[in-house]
Amino acid sequence: MTKSQKPKAISYKLTIGWLYPDLMSTYGDRGNIIVLQKRAEWRGIKVKVKPIGIETSPYSLVVSDLLFMGGAQDTQQEIVNRDLQDMKGKVLIEQIEKGIPGLYICGAYQFLGKYYRTADKKKLPGLGVFPLSTENPGEKYPRLIGNIVIEPKIEGLTQPLVGFENHGGRTYLDYKNQRLGDVKKGFGNNGKDESEGIVYKNSFGTYLHGPILPKNPQLADLLLTLALEKKYGEKIRLEPLDNSIEKKARETVMKKLI
Amino acid sequence: MNSILILLGKTILFLSRTFNLGSGSTWPGHVAMETNPKFVRQVIKKNPNLKVVLVAGTNGKTTTSLMLQEILQEGGLKVFRNEAGANLLNGIASSIIANINLTGRLNFDVAIFEVDERNVELALKEIHPNVILFLNIFRDQLDRYGEVNQVLKDWGNALSMVKNSTLLTNGDDPALAHLAKKSGLKTFLFGIDDKFMIKNMTGHDVDFIYCPNCQTKLDYKKNSFSHMGDFTCPKCKFKRENIEQIKLTRYPLFGIYNIYNTNAAALIANKIFDVSAEKINRALKTFKPAFGRQEEINYKGRKILMLLSKNPAGFNQSISTLSDFIHPRGENVPTPRGCNILLILNDRIPDGRDVSWIWDLDFENLPKDSKIFISGDRAHDMALRIKYSQLSDVSGQLFEDLREAIENAVSETKPNETLFILPTYSAMLESRKILTGRSIL
Repeated sequence: MTKSQKPKAISYKLTIGWLYPDLMSTYGDRGNIIVLQKRAEWRGIKVKVKPIGIETSPYSLVVSDLLFMGGAQDTQQEIVNRDLQDMKGKVLIEQIEKGIPGLYICGAYQFLGKYYRTADKKKLPGLGVFPLSTENPGEKYPRLIGNIVIEPKIEGLTQPLVGFENHGGRTYLDYKNQRLGDVKKGFGNNGKDESEGIVYKNSFGTYLHGPILPKNPQLADLLLTLALEKKYGEKIRLEPLDNSIEKKARETVMKKLI
Repeated sequence: MNSILILLGKTILFLSRTFNLGSGSTWPGHVAMETNPKFVRQVIKKNPNLKVVLVAGTNGKTTTSLMLQEILQEGGLKVFRNEAGANLLNGIASSIIANINLTGRLNFDVAIFEVDERNVELALKEIHPNVILFLNIFRDQLDRYGEVNQVLKDWGNALSMVKNSTLLTNGDDPALAHLAKKSGLKTFLFGIDDKFMIKNMTGHDVDFIYCPNCQTKLDYKKNSFSHMGDFTCPKCKFKRENIEQIKLTRYPLFGIYNIYNTNAAALIANKIFDVSAEKINRALKTFKPAFGRQEEINYKGRKILMLLSKNPAGFNQSISTLSDFIHPRGENVPTPRGCNILLILNDRIPDGRDVSWIWDLDFENLPKDSKIFISGDRAHDMALRIKYSQLSDVSGQLFEDLREAIENAVSETKPNETLFILPTYSAMLESRKILTGRSIL
């Protein structure tokens, strides 16, 4: 295993802003942070992980080079929604529009859309950054649960992404060509149109838990690359790492689905 | 009608035991409940002198039920309980069939029924227990149980259906303490002594660290594990109440979570069934754990300790139990050494098909220089988790075949050392079968 490799001549630094670690982290989402941090450090990049919670000022969003927000349960999501009503929400929108890279999972993904219609037809407004909306068809319809494989539709990702999805809401993109990938096995955004996730500027929204990054190191490296390129304004090529365990773990999931 | 079902059930039990058919534990109950869905309700009603204790919680149901049974028996009471894992209504019905006589009488003083956390509502519709014990509540197998908030909500609804039950619950858990307050039931709160708590802000396996009353983040003066501790809401002043404790001379099992389980069992025995502290301590002295729960197995001259580890809170408790084992509290161990640990991660239905929870585990707290072996259906996921915790190079220690993993781990364990196995539920049953040569369920 590659524990550390020689740092480059210029030493890069990254600040990862982790939104609501104690509220939006239901499905082992912290794994995504661990993976981003280690994969950067193994390449000699200095990383600071900045937890951004209810009591944190919006300024911490401005100094973050890469953003992450995980999934949550309803009660926790309500607390977060309230917190993002004011300045912090506005700053988050600005950062996303400016092209600050980020990864937003499940509840966070839904919340960045225009609205979420609950099972009892209540319309909860979202931040409205991502051109999408989500409907919960009600308790008569099953949650979409299970292992999932998608084929990504973006440059830099050549391998299928695997994960585990577990969501009641069905998400519909305004423009299907903004999807992160095509569903090969599983449900994806809504279980109907074979799309999964969204790519908006440098932000990625998806239903994939697992967590997503450990088994999909290409996506982790893409996020790191985008963050460094944005920050330093130059083309970045990350040194390759040994991904053999990742590959086997991914194959286990794919074998289950074939 | 029920007497026919009892006779039929007993026959099935007899046959499955005689011919070792396995899975016999829920079969008779299944047949009875399919034929007469009111079977459990009617039989319990016909035995008004039988006191029923219902035990629910994410972790520790089996250990606590077994402990309570042994304490009550020490107190001279006749007790039966449903088999571990058979904790749906079918399992309860089966335990009734096994213990009832053909005239429909249960010659027992107490029945202890552990129920699956999703089935509390269903169980309380059928049975109005004398005592309800809610041990704890943590996130667990989200694909099966759903979100933990929903489980809590269901428990609240379930409590509104019973009026005469006494509730025993965990006073160190803000969500459960709040639930008890709202229920209006006669309540006893168990917990643990502050001296077992530490000043350490909660980890990543917490579920309820915001005030259940006003949703403000709670302050913790001290903390035991997960979201349990000495909490206060800075805004609405909702806080941990005084807990009740029976004076115990020793705890029979490792780990803080077992201090909770033991305190809960002791409090019920004393407050509800009048068993003296002296008798409780006597029963605990000879207590042997339930299968897979800190169970000690000898295999090829090596000592193996099986620590069932099936969700973040439970697994993190197993990890800290290992440290306790290596460095017993108060003892000065000159040269700390690592453990031999076999991690087995399966993703079958009883384990939960989603393995993302392993990323909430604090492997960084494993004793240094531990030797780690990995197996299970999702061994590579576990290896990946270990890789990112940067504990050790694990590539040479992964065995897809479980038997091979066990043999290798055992042969690398010295005669004076212990091999710790941390398995998920189905992995525990499977490895136990390899180690003891027979299956239990």
